[in-house]
Amino acid sequence: MTVFLLMASGVMAGGLGALLGIGGGIVLVPVLVLGFGIPLEQAVPASLMCVVANSCAAAASYVENKLSDLRLGLTLELATVMGAIVGGLVAAFVAEAMVAVVFGLFTLFVSLQMLLLRAPVQEPVTTTQYVPVNYPLGISGSFVAGGLSALLGVGGGPLKVPLMSYGMRVPFKVASATSNLMVGVTGAASVAAYAWRGHLNLALVAPLVVGVLAGASVGSRWMPKVPTAVLKKLFAAVLLLVAGQMLWKGGEGLWPSLWK
Amino acid sequence: MAESVEMNEVGPLMQGVHPSVRGAEPAPPPRNAQAQAVALPAQEAFPEAFPESFPEAFPEEPVTQPEGQPHARRWAARASRGERWIARMLRTGAVMSGGMFVASLALELLPRDESVHVAIDLLRKGAASMLLVTPVARLAMAGTLLGLRGEWRYTAIAAGVLGLLALAVGAGFQA
Repeated sequence: MTVFLLMASGVMAGGLGALLGIGGGIVLVPVLVLGFGIPLEQAVPASLMCVVANSCAAAASYVENKLSDLRLGLTLELATVMGAIVGGLVAAFVAEAMVAVVFGLFTLFVSLQMLLLRAPVQEPVTTTQYVPVNYPLGISGSFVAGGLSALLGVGGGPLKVPLMSYGMRVPFKVASATSNLMVGVTGAASVAAYAWRGHLNLALVAPLVVGVLAGASVGSRWMPKVPTAVLKKLFAAVLLLVAGQMLWKGGEGLWPSLWK
Repeated sequence: MAESVEMNEVGPLMQGVHPSVRGAEPAPPPRNAQAQAVALPAQEAFPEAFPESFPEAFPEEPVTQPEGQPHARRWAARASRGERWIARMLRTGAVMSGGMFVASLALELLPRDESVHVAIDLLRKGAASMLLVTPVARLAMAGTLLGLRGEWRYTAIAAGVLGLLALAVGAGFQA
């Protein structure tokens, strides 16, 4: 029974991750910890493994349909990895709780903006009808996203999708598909680090990955058909969840007496 | 009331039309001309020799030399092929890894035995390894394909990402 429930969670996370380009770890970690009582040190690598599975299954479809921008993905990937390394280096000198609060407030702002503002123009769907602008903003934002990924254990998707969509004028679906392509590489590197430390529980990963692969293949087929406005609202709702998690995490660190 | 038509030697007279504007009348055949209807009796006698529709005498010849594609179209076709290869590789990695995980879950239904336990363990380790290698291989393939198209900048970026990832994993950082 537990195996089937884990598979169902994987299907949900995979579908949502493929639709929005966030990998699905944001959804999976709370479900595993709160719903199944799995310790966080096992839940995080298992969810990262699911992010990799999600990226492989969904990106295959997106690359084939020319929704993923390979060049943009490679460029931002370099900045993300550099940011992650720097984040790992400065982690000892930065107050994690403060970073979590700042990131939580930022995601809250972006989600509210996405929920309350209307899309002004019809966006093109394919990668051939637009030109990304403002590369310096995109690269520096990806650097920050990588750093936050290393400091807070969140994927870069919730930051990179709005960055590409609003900052670089990339169509939302292309931004989502490109983010999906990128999270696989960073996720694989993170999982490898966890696996070397022996924190990867494959008995937990097996049903989750099977569910995620199924959910991601369905989500990647739906994504081109779902209206962009609906995707944006869904993304904003997920960002609200991330903001809540980050503010909780930061608040717990900054004012532990209030939370206990 | 029967309609009466006035006839002459050639044919019916056209009412209301002056004979000077009727056009040339059919002349008798030249003296040494061959008759056109000589084959008709043979066609009636041997109908199998004259099928209803003859095959086309000159079917459209195959084009032996392909038309020269414009540079842009050839370039786009090559790019599309490269993207298909990347998609194929990602899908193969995901499907094979998923299949191995499913097989390991199916083996769990069998009675517990040492060999079954070893098989489950091997299948899961293989599946996890394949899943982790797939996006990294995709990165390498994307860099190589873009390099083959002449976009060496992206090849250098992909190489840089791979190098940094190796450094991060080796140092134990979580990218």
